[in-house]
Amino acid sequence: MVAKKFTMLGLALAMTAALAGCSSGGKSAGNSASPAASPSGSSPSASASGETAKEDLTPVTFTYFNANAQIPDIDSNKTEIGKKLEEQTGVNFKLQFPVGDVNTKIGTMIASGDYPDVLAPDTAIDKVLDAKGFIPLNDLIDQYGPNVKRVYEPYFNQMKAADGNIYFLPFSPVVGEYISNPTIDQGAFFIQRRVLKEFGYPKIKTLDEYFDLIKKYYDAHKGDNLTGFTSLTYDWRTMGIFNPPMHLAGYPNDGDVIVDMQTHEANVYADDDYTKRWLKKLNEINSEGLYDQSSFVNNYDQYLAKISSGNVLGFFDYGWEVDQALQNIKKTGNDDLDYMPLPIVFDDSVTDQYLDPPSFIDNRGVGITTSAKDPVRIMKFFDNMLKEENQVMIQWGFKGETYEVDDKGRFYRTQEQIDKLKDNATQQSIGFSYFNYSWPMYGQGSTLSDGNSFNAGRQPEVAQASFTEGDKLILDKYGVKTFSELFAKPEDRPWYPAWSISIEQGSPAQIFQQKSKDVKLKYFPKLVLSKPDQFESLWNEYLKEFGKLDVKGFENTLTQLIKNKIAKVTGSSN
Amino acid sequence: MRNSISVAAQSPEALPRPSGVRRFFKLLLKQRTLVFMSVPFVIWIFVFKYLPLWGWTIAFQHYRPNLGLFEQEWVGLSQFKFLFADESFIRVMRNTLAMAVIKLVLGFVTAITLAILLNELRMIVFKRTVQTISYLPHFISWVVAANIISTALSIDNDGIVNKVLMWLHLIDKPIMWLGVGHYFWGILGISEVWKDVGWNTIVYLAAMTMIDPSQYEAAEIDGASRFQRILRVTLPGLKPVVIILLIMNLGNILETGFEPQYLMGNGMNADYSENLEIFVLKYGISMGNFSLATAAGIFKTVISFVLLFSANSIAKRMGEERLF
Amino acid sequence: MQAPVKKVYKRFRSPGDRLFDTINVLLLLGLTVVTLYPFVNTLAVSLNDANDSIRGGIYLWPRDFSWGNYKYVFKEATIFHATLISVLRTVIGTVVTVLASAMVAYTISRPEFVLRKFVTVMFVLTMYLNGGLIPNYLLIRDLHLIGSFWVYIVPGIIGVFNMIVIRSFIEGLPEGILESARIDGAGEFRTFMRIVLPLSMPALATVALFTGVYQWNSWFDVFLYNSQVPDLSTLQYELMRMLANSNSNSSMTSASAFANSGNDNANYVTPTSIRATMTIVASLPMILVYPFLQKYFVKGMTLGGVKG
Repeated sequence: MVAKKFTMLGLALAMTAALAGCSSGGKSAGNSASPAASPSGSSPSASASGETAKEDLTPVTFTYFNANAQIPDIDSNKTEIGKKLEEQTGVNFKLQFPVGDVNTKIGTMIASGDYPDVLAPDTAIDKVLDAKGFIPLNDLIDQYGPNVKRVYEPYFNQMKAADGNIYFLPFSPVVGEYISNPTIDQGAFFIQRRVLKEFGYPKIKTLDEYFDLIKKYYDAHKGDNLTGFTSLTYDWRTMGIFNPPMHLAGYPNDGDVIVDMQTHEANVYADDDYTKRWLKKLNEINSEGLYDQSSFVNNYDQYLAKISSGNVLGFFDYGWEVDQALQNIKKTGNDDLDYMPLPIVFDDSVTDQYLDPPSFIDNRGVGITTSAKDPVRIMKFFDNMLKEENQVMIQWGFKGETYEVDDKGRFYRTQEQIDKLKDNATQQSIGFSYFNYSWPMYGQGSTLSDGNSFNAGRQPEVAQASFTEGDKLILDKYGVKTFSELFAKPEDRPWYPAWSISIEQGSPAQIFQQKSKDVKLKYFPKLVLSKPDQFESLWNEYLKEFGKLDVKGFENTLTQLIKNKIAKVTGSSN
Repeated sequence: MRNSISVAAQSPEALPRPSGVRRFFKLLLKQRTLVFMSVPFVIWIFVFKYLPLWGWTIAFQHYRPNLGLFEQEWVGLSQFKFLFADESFIRVMRNTLAMAVIKLVLGFVTAITLAILLNELRMIVFKRTVQTISYLPHFISWVVAANIISTALSIDNDGIVNKVLMWLHLIDKPIMWLGVGHYFWGILGISEVWKDVGWNTIVYLAAMTMIDPSQYEAAEIDGASRFQRILRVTLPGLKPVVIILLIMNLGNILETGFEPQYLMGNGMNADYSENLEIFVLKYGISMGNFSLATAAGIFKTVISFVLLFSANSIAKRMGEERLF
Repeated sequence: MQAPVKKVYKRFRSPGDRLFDTINVLLLLGLTVVTLYPFVNTLAVSLNDANDSIRGGIYLWPRDFSWGNYKYVFKEATIFHATLISVLRTVIGTVVTVLASAMVAYTISRPEFVLRKFVTVMFVLTMYLNGGLIPNYLLIRDLHLIGSFWVYIVPGIIGVFNMIVIRSFIEGLPEGILESARIDGAGEFRTFMRIVLPLSMPALATVALFTGVYQWNSWFDVFLYNSQVPDLSTLQYELMRMLANSNSNSSMTSASAFANSGNDNANYVTPTSIRATMTIVASLPMILVYPFLQKYFVKGMTLGGVKG
């Protein structure tokens, strides 16, 4: 269920941005443009802004169905940001979000031909394209989209469909230098801080070191009813057991495959030594009593409850998936029970690649549908949104309300502002929840022309201000300023992430993904929970079963898709 | 079926047979009230249930919802082939049938038993309270129910089932109930009973109100015991409803649901928890393949019809209540 | 059940009877405990602080009592309007369905009716036929039912299962009654209204309950057909929407990962706690209404005058 995975990630990204970029009042919004536009003479927004006076500002309302988020429906002009954008353009949007299954909803739209004016179909985008539900944007961009062009032009190659038209605008065009997330919302091996504390904050890098430390602590505290290590294997949330081999071997999250840096060949690692080594290690710690036996039957709620209990010493997961539990621990105020994310690898010689490299997700986005009443006004609205001062507004909000600017022109947030913005209702009333994702926009990790981070959450000043005392202490012990500093810089991978590459629905490759998942789900519990002397024979049995699937065919398909993507990406950079 | 006495007068056999068609229309005219009371609804059902059956063509297409019926790409039986040729199909069908039989038998037996037990209760307040409470779990969605069940079956501290069994010395170490495949059918069956037994009882309770009390009195005078009264009066009184429900449910036998299987299924019990609906969910709906889902639907309908007509004709031959 | 029967039982209570009664009461008490638990547990979770509930381990009562989940559910006024629509569709839908089903059930219970078999088969087969989502959607659109209240009523006018249940009851009515009505010169329709309907109350109450619960719990038709029309939204749909929103609320905090200290704002909710709360909110009316229907099939009815 790669698609699901992506949805969650997208959501997580969107929300990171939402959280980071909050504000409360729209009254001072007029000033917000100035700091953004001031430093560079060739202001990124200048080209179109001169014409604004002549623009058609008669009020108009469009509908936008956004499948990327699940937030209350609203009229965009009921939010502060939406109000501001309406003042600039006269355009109001009825924003609608799915309640039930997105595929069903979009299926009925396609079958009836009745679309909203603007549509972000999330994973159902291929179907909408297939049904020719979007209108081509090329001419509209040429005529009315100077800012769209500025932001998206480097990616035009990747955005073009086979017929040469652009049908939708993705959400991830990185503008300026790429800034990584200072916190770990992606994959990591987590370890409880009391373990590190007890042994004097040792530097641990390999899987053996990681489990040795957990074992040492576990043995020293027998009787405390501790769990050494747990994993989640429920529904589509199987990454906690499937993905570690890839990360331990020094690769970022490419889903089912590891992609060779030189040859760009995709290799399914589920039947590799990497996976064998990982499972053997789990088998070993299981025989030592460190592994949580119910890992393979627990549902998501039970897993979160387990981690929240503070009795689990370690686990592998993606930050966004366990965050509810981690927040809960933070709330207890007991820093010992909190966790530290670490970039664990198999061997000392391996460079970790946990952090996401900058990536352009070219199969998610927002388009104008064939039912749209006035595509020109919509394109003008999009273009207006992409002016830099408006990009500042959708992420940072309003100066003096949701962010401040110091004398060097750096944006920051006061503690009070940060606290205020933790409230979902505030996020919604300002409009961050509605505007900081799912629109034509700068991609996550972009840099504004004045050097500030586009995402408030990635601005070091903001990240610092939101750390707890315990966070600061442990960062200090490891001599870093942010959690991501412990992780290696991501290398450039033009195809990244392979899991987001569209695989045709119902194709053999997609069926392979489902089947291989089933085989893994069936055998991994046996491999981990068996007696150590049975491991080898079970592994061979598993290989035999896995070998029945068309692994080669899947790898070839993916390799081809990756090569296509690389060709498009590198083609565009020339 | 009772053959009412009134029929005799107008029964077809009794009339001379001038011509079938004419006789038919004559009768129709005579029964025009009955016609007016039913035929408009037949038209309704034709529009709402039969017209959309053109959708079955989707099973034979590479379906694109934006195209009309004649613009579709026809792929013949490939969806059916995918369904039947899959190596897991036999296993999936085995699980479906096992779940269905367990559900059918357990469902009927428990609901009828509960209805009888309630009927034998003398304290009306207690009776109504028990009945109301037993109906509550029906309103708990499977997501919530599955969570409660998983927790109860856990090997951790909060697993009450293991705790009780250990306390009773029936087991000496906790069992990972959801981690052992062949327990799954049983767990599912019990869960379904737990959730719906009270709800399913309602129709039998209603049927019991139709039993003529004088029959109990007569049995009493004959010196029948409690059990004999249940056997001779209550059960025969329920028989028509039971048979009708049984025939209808047999037709639905492949509808074993997917929620509990999906929510309580995992890699360790997948060999026993995956049924037809889960299969369709995985390879049809979640891949946006409407065609596979439709093909599976047609397959289910065919099985339903076979079972329905067989059950109905068996009931007919045995001289019992039948569906049509 | 019946007064005279009761007396008879009382007079001859043998030791075997006593044993039976004792075991019966014990069994049913056990059942009560087991079936009450999920509801009590759900109530406890709904009254517990959402953030605290993540830790699990809530059984019979809340650990960290809070009205937060209920405040979240009732914070928007739209839910009251949605409840009104739910009540309307439940009442109208149930009355229409019960009457229509009973009417057709009556016709196919008449052995002399020439179309009896045809009508029965036409209806029965549809229980196992489904054209699929898209064809149904297109039909509803072509009938101009999208965006209309009647889309909740018209497609479900007759529940075939319910109809068959009613037929089975009508056929069980004492034979003489319908006959005597007809001899009195009553037409079919009058017989149906005056005699069949009142005598079938237990069946009608049962079917009304099935239909009412179905109508009350429906949200998928709102999602498919009326999601653009806020005025026709129903309680269940609004609750589903809140559940969906709570999903994204909890992933919103997820994104904050280590960037933020504990999140203790008042409107923090999780899918688990919202699901518990919506279960209580949605099922309470059904539970409160239940005793009024229950009396028709639990107390038992006297067939009094009919018997003779």
